[in-house]
Amino acid sequence: MSSNNMDKAVSELIYRSCLLLDDMDFSGYLNLCAPEFRYTVTAYSPELLKDMVWQDIDKTEMQRHLELVPKHVSDPSPLSRRPTVYTISYDDENKVANTVSGFEVFRTTLDGGNTVLLAIGKYYDVVSVASKEPKLLHRNVKLDTRQLGIGSQVPF
Amino acid sequence: MARNSTTWGQAPKLPPTHFVDASIYTDETIFKEEIDKIFNRIWLISCHESEIEKAYDYRLFSHPGGKSLIVMRGDDGGVRCFYNTCSHRNNTILRHPAGNAKRITCIFHHWQFDCYGNCTNIPREKAGYGDRIGKSDVGLRQVKCEVAYGGFVWVNVDDQCEPLKEFIGDAFSDMEAELKIPMQVFHYHQAVVNSNYKLWHDTNRELYHDYMHYHNRQTGLSQKGYFDRVYHTYRNGHVQLDSMEIQYGSYEGYEGQRRLTWPGAPLACHKLVNIFPGTTFILRAPSFRVDTMTPLGPNKVLIEFRGLGIKGESAQDRGIRLRDHNTLWGPFGLNLHEDLLAIEGQSRAMREGMERIYTLHGREENNTTHDEIGMRDYYREWGRRMGRPAFNPVERLNVAAE
Repeated sequence: MSSNNMDKAVSELIYRSCLLLDDMDFSGYLNLCAPEFRYTVTAYSPELLKDMVWQDIDKTEMQRHLELVPKHVSDPSPLSRRPTVYTISYDDENKVANTVSGFEVFRTTLDGGNTVLLAIGKYYDVVSVASKEPKLLHRNVKLDTRQLGIGSQVPF
Repeated sequence: MARNSTTWGQAPKLPPTHFVDASIYTDETIFKEEIDKIFNRIWLISCHESEIEKAYDYRLFSHPGGKSLIVMRGDDGGVRCFYNTCSHRNNTILRHPAGNAKRITCIFHHWQFDCYGNCTNIPREKAGYGDRIGKSDVGLRQVKCEVAYGGFVWVNVDDQCEPLKEFIGDAFSDMEAELKIPMQVFHYHQAVVNSNYKLWHDTNRELYHDYMHYHNRQTGLSQKGYFDRVYHTYRNGHVQLDSMEIQYGSYEGYEGQRRLTWPGAPLACHKLVNIFPGTTFILRAPSFRVDTMTPLGPNKVLIEFRGLGIKGESAQDRGIRLRDHNTLWGPFGLNLHEDLLAIEGQSRAMREGMERIYTLHGREENNTTHDEIGMRDYYREWGRRMGRPAFNPVERLNVAAE
């Protein structure tokens, strides 16, 4: 695959991961993840003066979490993730791409009358490019916004 | 039968201790009075001692009364609290929420203070003030401060307040062993929610709402002994609930046997202590969570969530505790979102200026799990401090006649 085509495939993977979560298509999202997928949410706390880990789960745990979401009570207001892929660099030896993307998450009320910016941050993704179809190996959601109101059971 | 405006506005056929007028959750005048009569006179948690481990470490605390406070560990190991206000021209002296400051220096004119609140430097002191005023006259305003009950730093801006020990009384009697363990904060997050602070605390004072939580239905409500827990009420409006063992294995995907608990507590133990007016200690072994809150307005509250582990525990144990905490109680947790969603919904329905409505706290089940004694006791104390009955807050109590 040419460099341009590889960039396009990796970028699309990141964009599709957001679109699938926006649609609450959890199985579609998990299909984008490699078996050794790891998902973390971190945020620097100026109160504790260190990084906090707000989620750190593997693919099995993510699947379990997503299966439990519909059984719990959730805010029905849809979320919309807006990523922008900033950089892609390749580690040819390990056949992975390291990417940095900025993102915003918006929440829109069910009546469509009010959209609020819920959070901003960056995705630090490690993508396997060993096969024709790239897969997510690790997503670290590094949040700038630390006050998330009522929170979210669905990953960013 | 559905009700019309007349019947909707009628007081419930319950004793007046068993319901409240919803205006206590929405009225601006009542809110301002709460700040004055409750929050400016009561012991509140500012932070945990593990957040200020070394000499000169400090944490800022935004007191509900509006004052910014500095909580600092001194070079003698003691913890003290001061107004975050320069004695010169009242500028804010520390701006970062946490840090280490051997000298507290105001950016404006470089007045300096030490960890005891003494003023240690006034640039060109003699040239400007002569002998009229000196460093010894302009120390920081100190605030009462004690480290207790699990290593939390309690503060009270009222110099005439009762001692912390008297304020708490026996409220932690069933959590004493667990609170003796040196702890460390590993999780901290804040949530600003459009709701009244009392509605959040109500949620921590009753387990009837376990029907809302899928997790709690599976691991608690459907388990033997769940309905036998008894609430114990204490002076000053505190309440404690008997412990029980949670059946974690009844929650899909969590069937594995738990091995980690909290020192001094049985495996999978659940304990709950609520301190008036808005602090909650929840042990759901192996997780330990402490909620504190700062009311920002009648319909806005800042809640601070702390997750605690054992100081010096292995990375493996900390990892288990962290993961367990995040599953339900982190910002992406499955239970916390439900609780916050509920209180936001309550506030949406109870807006200031709406016709009079009442909130029921009338369940009586011999003070057991789904009895609403925890809330009734809260509003008894609220009424005593406010000089207003919560069921009819417009009519002032004749406190002297009580």
